[in-house]
Order: sequence, then C-alpha cells, then structure tokens
Amino acid sequence: MPRVVRSSLRKELFANPIDGLVSVLLISGVGAAGYGLIHWALTQAQWVVIQANSTLFAVGRYPIEQQWRLWLLVALVAAATGLSWGALRGLPQRDRPITAVWPRNDRIAAIVLVALCGWAPAALGLAWPIQARWWALTALLLVLRWLAGRYASRLRKVATLGLPLLWPLLYLVGMVLIGGGLGLVTVGANEWGGLLLTLIEASFAILLSAPLGVVLALGRRSSLPLLRWGSIAYIEFIRGAPLITLLFLGQNILGFLLPGGLAPDRIWRAAWILTFFSAAYLAEAVRAGLAAVPRGQLEAARSLGLNLPQALSRVVLPQALRIALPATVGQFISLLQDTTLLSLIGLLDLLGTARSVMANPLYLGKSAEVYLTLAVLFWCCCAALGLGSRALERRLNPPTLGP
Amino acid sequence: MTAEPKVAKSPAMIEARGVEKWYPNGFHALRGVDLTVQRGEVVVIMGPSGSGKSTFIRTFNALEDFQKGSITVDGIALNDDLRQIDAIRREVGMVFQQFNLFPHLSVLDNLTLAPVLVRKRSKGDVLNQAMALLERVGIAEQAHKFPGQLSGGQQQRVAIARSLCMEPRILLFDEPTSSLDPEMVREVLEVMQGLAADGMTMVVVTHEVGFARQVADRVVLMADGQVVEEAMPEQFFDHPQHERSRQFLSQIL
Repeated sequence: MPRVVRSSLRKELFANPIDGLVSVLLISGVGAAGYGLIHWALTQAQWVVIQANSTLFAVGRYPIEQQWRLWLLVALVAAATGLSWGALRGLPQRDRPITAVWPRNDRIAAIVLVALCGWAPAALGLAWPIQARWWALTALLLVLRWLAGRYASRLRKVATLGLPLLWPLLYLVGMVLIGGGLGLVTVGANEWGGLLLTLIEASFAILLSAPLGVVLALGRRSSLPLLRWGSIAYIEFIRGAPLITLLFLGQNILGFLLPGGLAPDRIWRAAWILTFFSAAYLAEAVRAGLAAVPRGQLEAARSLGLNLPQALSRVVLPQALRIALPATVGQFISLLQDTTLLSLIGLLDLLGTARSVMANPLYLGKSAEVYLTLAVLFWCCCAALGLGSRALERRLNPPTLGP
Repeated sequence: MTAEPKVAKSPAMIEARGVEKWYPNGFHALRGVDLTVQRGEVVVIMGPSGSGKSTFIRTFNALEDFQKGSITVDGIALNDDLRQIDAIRREVGMVFQQFNLFPHLSVLDNLTLAPVLVRKRSKGDVLNQAMALLERVGIAEQAHKFPGQLSGGQQQRVAIARSLCMEPRILLFDEPTSSLDPEMVREVLEVMQGLAADGMTMVVVTHEVGFARQVADRVVLMADGQVVEEAMPEQFFDHPQHERSRQFLSQIL
C-alpha cells in the first residue's frame, strides 16, 4: 500500500482505539451484509421472474403492436436528457469556471451509463434487435450531450429559455404518443402499467403541482383575506390527511361529485389527487423561500416603479424559488415514491404490476428478487432527480465575494 | 409621453401637510409633519433613532401609508389610487440603507430592469445610459459582476445609479451610509455631492454632519414624530434655536 494511502487511512479510520473499534465494527458489518447480498444475488436468486416479465414491469399490458410509440418516446426523452445535461454543463457554474466538455464526474456518469446499457438488456435476456435499440438510445444521448456541451456557451440564450419549455412540451408530445389521438390509435389508460404508469403519474403531478404550489404560497402571503384564508385552509387540510385516504376519497367522491362522463377515469383521478397533495407541500417549501427573501427586495422593486406582478416575477420569486429548490426536489422525490400507493387503490403501477406478478403461482417465493429490482429502479429515478437538482442549484446561486 | 399624468403648476417638488401615521400596533409615528421641498433643493433630515424620519420619507413613495394629512409629489396627490402611486414611484427614486440590490441580477441588469419593464424603453438604449451612469459613479469596470461580489460602498453606488437610470425627478436617501464601513462612506457621499451639484432634488436622511453642512440647502430636525427645527445648515449647526436640537447635536458632534 502506498504510504499516502496508509497514512490517510490511519488518520481517518484508526486515529485512536475507539475510532479503530468503530471502524472495524462498521467495516465488518457492511462487508458481511454486502457479501451476503451479492452472494445471494449471484447464486441463489432466480432472476427469471424479472427476465420473463421485463416488458410487463416496463409498460404493463400496453399493446405490442403499438409499442413502437413508446420506443419513439424513449428516444425523444433520451435526446432531451442529453441536450439538457450538455447545456447545464456548458452554462457557467458560478463557483468554478468551465474546464472541459467532459469533466470527471461526467466521464464517470457516461461510463456507468454505457456499462448499464451493455449489461442490463443482456442480463434480461432481451432479443438482439432490442438490445441494439438500447445501445442506439445510449449513443443518441451521449452524442447530444457532447454536442450540447460543446456549443452551449454559444447558445446560452436558447438554452436558458429553451430548456424550461422543452420538458413540458415533451410531456404533451409524450401523452399523445402514449394515449393516441392526432391520427394514432387510442390506447386507453387502463392498458398503461408498470414503470410507464408510475412515470406518467409522477411527471403529471410534478409538472402541475409546481405552478399550483407557487400560487398557493403567494396566496398564503396575500393581503386579500379571502385568498389568504382559502390558501391556508387548503394547505392545512391536505397536509393533515394521509395521502392514501385522499386517494381513496378521490376514487369514490369524484365519481359522485361530477356528473357522469365528466369525472376522469381512475388513473387521471389518482394523478389529480397526487397533484393536489404535492402542491400543498410545495406551497410550504415556496413559502419558506419567500420568507427568506429580505423585505427590502420587494420595496426596492416597487420603488423603482415595478407593479406587484412584475416585482414578484422578476425580483422576489427568482430568489425565493432558488432557495426553495432543494426542498422542492425533495418533495418531487417523495412524490415519485408515493406513487407506489396507487397499487393499493388497484392501479397497476410498478408496485401494482409487481404484486400481480408475485401472485402468479409460477413465481411463488420470488418476492425478494422483485422487490430488489423495484428498489433499484426507484433509486435510479430518485438519484437522477437529486443529481440534476444539485447541478442546477450550483448554477443558479449568485456569486459572492471571496472563495 | 401622453400617458403621463398632468404636472400641476405647483413649484414645490414635495408638499407634505399635517402628515400623521399610526402603526397597526397603535404607535403614533408621525404627529402632523409639514415639509416643503422645492425643485433642485437638497434637504437633510436628521434626528434620533425612532424619531420617524425614515418613516416620513418612505411615505413620499407610498412604501408607508399615512392616516391623516396630505402629500403631493411633483403635483400628483398621493392617495389610495394605485395608478397615482405607480406614477409617483416612477418619478421618485429611493436609495436604501441596506442597498437592496437584486442579488440574482448582474450590476448592469440591476440598472436596466426597471427602465425596460416600466418605461418600456429598448434594451440597447437603456444599456448605453446604464454604462454612462456606472461610469459616472465610478464602477463601470464592475458592470458584469454580481452585487455579492462588490464592497458595500460599490453596492451603494450601484444602487444610486440604478435609481438614476429611471431618470427620477427626485431622489430619496434613507440613511445611505449608515451600514457602510467608515472608509467607504466618502466615495458614496462624493457621488451624492455630485448629484446635488447637478441640480437633483434630494431628500436625505443621514447623520453625516459634514455632508449636511456642505451640500444641504436646509436641515430639518425631527424628534418624536414631529419637526422640531428647520434651518439653513450654518444656522442649525452653529446656532440651534431649540433645546431638543442642542441636545441632539451634543450627542452626534
């Protein structure tokens, strides 16, 4: 062992007897658990349950002859991801200058991505043409990442204006591709399932709860009593009720309240309930952000002649939302995980699909494999959200004096 | 511009008559304050803390409301009509103790935001003017930095340039040097002195006696929400007429 490594190990892990004891206990504990898990995954686990049902986990009972639409959508998402990733890299990070098109973290991420796309489709035993599609998608993502990263500094205006528009637009295109219309065969919501349904529900709620949460937060601080009390009542009511009760309530009550035909079907009811639920929590995050912006900011804006909407949208909200960003993304991550509750109201989201697979006598006793796969899938989605948010945060913080 | 409200014949820039204000907690902050500021005049308001001087000048652009009395700014009466308030705020610039620059915008964007949004001027046009103003307050080379990267004195000079970029008819200063380190006070006062020399109408709340002596046309002493004494600077500082003034001056001199 090189001396540097040895001395830093000693300093960090074995500085005194108690440190050493804690280190030994932790290392052996983590090591034993890790060994056990890997040993089980490689020798005892029977991954056939995942291999045989991979399409079901991915898209549920989406008709096979229409699945090309989903492939097209995945390609569009990969392209948008590559563009956003590259553009974010290319925008100046306030605390350090841009150094390379591929900084170290990005190289690691790209290698992980390539390894994943080489290994996962093969491990799932997918047919060669399907495996090739995944390779092409990864290549598309990385090439666009490279192009955007290279030219982002030149296209800065386009990037800062275009990126926030790109994703909502992509959502609309995606909904047409998934659901049909505009000349495409309709695929009813009851045929969506698996990861597809989970992502539809989560992204719908994320996109709509964000503006709703901002409106509620502003309403809560408004000087108009009706607006203020209405916002407070809404926020406190939603935050006081468990999501699962709201979901059941939504399934039952929306049907009674709205005349026949107007009530959205079960999947959209659930999406709206998730949206309303998430908005209440977002409102509190945004309110904390608003409270953190000094009062003088609004006064300075108003004394320059900006009216209230201008002062809020150009001066107060940009600062408040920046402060609220970590809490907001935290809320989005728990929202993504909350979608698993949909399985309890009978929807075939990722967890619902998994439960239906595990109920199949063929796969009795294979729940560990299924749950582990689910956990990894959710972890990947949440990690991506978290990474993206931290990258955004670093680029949005205004620079200050000193290091 | 046709949308501008008609300017009355009144020669005074600000006319405050019998202004009274109670805070919601019942505190009687202003107890019938009168003040007239002529065009091109520099009026310095002094007084112990809690005397209502900041509250008073903040009523001129409706950052504070008042319950009794009347205030007319450049011929426009301040009342609850929002359009009147917006019209007055366009003509009245304000410089704050805490600078209140917008930290998420560059120095240049701080200057151009309001003229583009409120006066609907073209960005290129405003940019030229903004650079000229930054030149004038001596920080043109910092135009692309962010407020957090500047010293307090530089920030306050940017704040003054930001107000000037709206081409106000009057500038209000609310203790502009009170939160600055001593060595930065002078650079801000010099900018203010230059403005006064160019004929800008200014109302300045400050404790800077040197500035008041050199630049002010009139000094007003406020205490307990009232005007105690109003006089030329030499008269005020060398021969104060009221006991309250003498007491105040003995504390700050």
